[in-house]
Amino acid sequence: MKLLFQLSIRNLCRNKRRNAMLLVAIAVAVAGVNATNTLLRGYQYDMLESAINNLTGHVKVMAEGYVDDPNVKHSFELSSEQLPQLPEGMVVGWADRLRIPAVIMSERETRGIELVGVDPAKEDISFIGEAEIEGEFLQGADDGRVLVGKELARQLQTSVGRRLVLIAQGADGLNRERGYRIAGTFDADGTGLEKNYVFVGLSSLQALLETQAITELSVRVDREEQRLPAKSALRAAFPELQVKDWRELDPQVAEMFKFADASLFIWFFLMMGALTFGLVNSLIAAVMERVKELGMMRALGMQNSTVLVQVVLESIILMTVGVVSGTCVSLLIYWSIADGIDLSAYAEGAEMVGVSSVLQPVLLSEDVFLVAIMSIILGILASFYPAWRVIKIRPLDALRR
Amino acid sequence: MRLRIYVAMGVLLLTGLSGLPVLQAQGQAQEVAPDPHELVEQALDLTRSTSSHAQMSMTISRPSWQRTSSLVAWTRGREDSLIRFTAPAKDAGNALLKQGDKMWTYNPKLNRNIRLPSSMMSQSWAGSDFSYNDLSRSDKYLRHYDLTLQQVTLDDKDANGEQQRVFTIDAVPKEDAPVVWGKERMVIREDFVMLEVTYFDQSMVPVKRLVSLEIGEMGGRTMATAMRMDNLEERDTYTEVRYQDIDFDLPLEDRMFTVFALQSGQTP
Repeated sequence: MKLLFQLSIRNLCRNKRRNAMLLVAIAVAVAGVNATNTLLRGYQYDMLESAINNLTGHVKVMAEGYVDDPNVKHSFELSSEQLPQLPEGMVVGWADRLRIPAVIMSERETRGIELVGVDPAKEDISFIGEAEIEGEFLQGADDGRVLVGKELARQLQTSVGRRLVLIAQGADGLNRERGYRIAGTFDADGTGLEKNYVFVGLSSLQALLETQAITELSVRVDREEQRLPAKSALRAAFPELQVKDWRELDPQVAEMFKFADASLFIWFFLMMGALTFGLVNSLIAAVMERVKELGMMRALGMQNSTVLVQVVLESIILMTVGVVSGTCVSLLIYWSIADGIDLSAYAEGAEMVGVSSVLQPVLLSEDVFLVAIMSIILGILASFYPAWRVIKIRPLDALRR
Repeated sequence: MRLRIYVAMGVLLLTGLSGLPVLQAQGQAQEVAPDPHELVEQALDLTRSTSSHAQMSMTISRPSWQRTSSLVAWTRGREDSLIRFTAPAKDAGNALLKQGDKMWTYNPKLNRNIRLPSSMMSQSWAGSDFSYNDLSRSDKYLRHYDLTLQQVTLDDKDANGEQQRVFTIDAVPKEDAPVVWGKERMVIREDFVMLEVTYFDQSMVPVKRLVSLEIGEMGGRTMATAMRMDNLEERDTYTEVRYQDIDFDLPLEDRMFTVFALQSGQTP
C-alpha cells in the first residue's frame, strides 16, 4: 500500500504542469462552491431572521379567524401574565400584541396602516426592538404616543413631536378616532415595514378600543428546530386558539427557505459536474500515456485490482489536495467578506425580495464538510472509468504499443 | 330666534325708559369679554339654525380652469344635512348625506349610495377645496378644541357709521383630539358672522383659509352670503360658495335625512 501511494505520487509529479492546472481547477471550483454557499446561507438566514423579526416570531398564538379577518373581534385575553411552561432554556422572549388595520392622517395625507399595540419592554424579539429610532422609543405599555416608520413620516409630511390622527374599529364595530403625538420614527430594513407599521402602547390602544384583549402572542425560541416542541406545548396550553409557526404564517418565505437548501446542491452539482469531466479527461490522458508501463507491471504480476487502486489513489490525492487548498481559499474569501457585502446600490431591489441591504455570509462547518466529502467521492467515481479502460487492454497489447 | 327678539325688545324698552345711564351700562358690558365657546356656537348656528334650506352656487377655481355648479342644501340641527347638485347636467343628482358622524354619497350614474369610510373624510369633496370634514365638523369645535379669545378689534364703519367688535379666537385641538391641524384661527363678528377661518399645520404654517367675501341680509339674518376657501399652498386655487337663497326654521321631515331620500332624490 505504501508502495502504491509512492507510485501514485510519483506519477502525479511526472506531469507537473497538467496536474497543477487540474489542481487549480479543483481548488477554484471548491472555493467557488464554498463561497457561494456562504452567500446563499447568508441570504437564507437573513430571510429567516427578517421573517421572524417581522412581528412573526417562531410560533404565534392567535384567535380563530384572525388570519382571514384581522379585527378586534378575533381576539383573546391572556389570563395570567406568565407564559405556559415551555421546556427550559428554549424561549428567548415573547410578546403580546394588539394588531389591527387602521387609518392614519396628517395635515396633508391619509394612509392605511397596521396599528400595533405593544409592550415596548417585550419587543426585543422583533425588528422594532433593534431598529434605529429618531426621537424616543415608547416608554411603556401605557404610552399614548406613536412610533411611525421613517418612510411613512416622509409620506405624511410630518415629523417627531407632531400629532397624527388614527382611526380604528373598536370591539363594538364602531370607529374610534384619536390624536396621537409622534414619539419617534424608526428606520427598518426595507421601506415596506416602515410604511406598514405604526406602534403604540398596548394598554393605551386597548383603552381606545375599549377592550382588554390581545390579538396575538408571539414567541421566539433559541433555535429554529425548537419551534416544533414549542408549538405543541403552546397548543396544549391554548386549546381554543390557533397556534402556528412561522413556516405556516409566512409560507412564501418558508418555501424560499427550502429552495435555498436545494439550490446549494444544484449549485454544487453544476460546478463539480463540469469539473468531473475535466478530471476524467486528464486521468484518461495520464493513464493512456502509461499504457506500456502499466502493461509491463501487469506482465510482471501486478494485479488488476492493484492497478485500479493506484489510479483511484491518484485521483483521491489530487482531489484531496485540491479540496484542502480550495477550502483554504474559500475561508480567505469568507473572512474578507465576513462583514457583509454592501448591496445598498441595489437596495431597492433587494428590499423587495425581503433581504436587507447588507448581505452577511454565513459559514456552516457542515456545508464545508459536505462539499469536501462529496468532492472526494466524486473524484473516486470519476477515476473508475480511466482505470477500467486501462485494465481492459491486455498486457500483451499494451507492451506492443 | 324668538328669544333674541325679546332680548332686543327688552333692550329697546330699557333704553327708552332710562336713557343715558343704560347706554353707559351697555358700554361697560361691551368691555366684558364674551365666552369664546358661546361665540363659536352662535356663529355655527347662524347659518344652520334648527333647520335650513339653501340654494347656492359653487365655483372651483384652478390656475388653468374654472367650473361653476349649483347646489341645494338642507340642514337640521347640527347633525343632519343633505347636499345635492342641480347643475351642470354632468353633476346634477350627485348628493351627499350626513347623519351624525356618518356620511354617504350618491351618484345617479351608479344609482348607488356609498358610505364614506372615515379615511376619506379628510379628502376633497367633489373636487373642491372643502374636505368632507369641513362639511361635517360643525360641533367638533365645541368638543375637541380649547378655545381662547386672542383679540378684540373694531371693524370698518358701515353705511350708518357704526362699528362692530370683531373677535379673534384660536382653537387649539386637545392633546388626543382627532384633529390634524395645529390650530384654527376664527374671526367672528359681534353679530356672530364668521369672517374668517384659517387652518394652520403643526408648524403653524397656514394651509387653507375660509374667508367671507360678502355679508348681507338673507333669510331674515345677517350672514356671510359668499365665502371662499383658499388653498394657501397653491396659487390661484380656491373654491367660492355663494348663497342665492336661504330659508330658516322650516319644518323638515325625518325622512329628508335618510339614505332612501338620498337615493330617490325626493325633495319636500
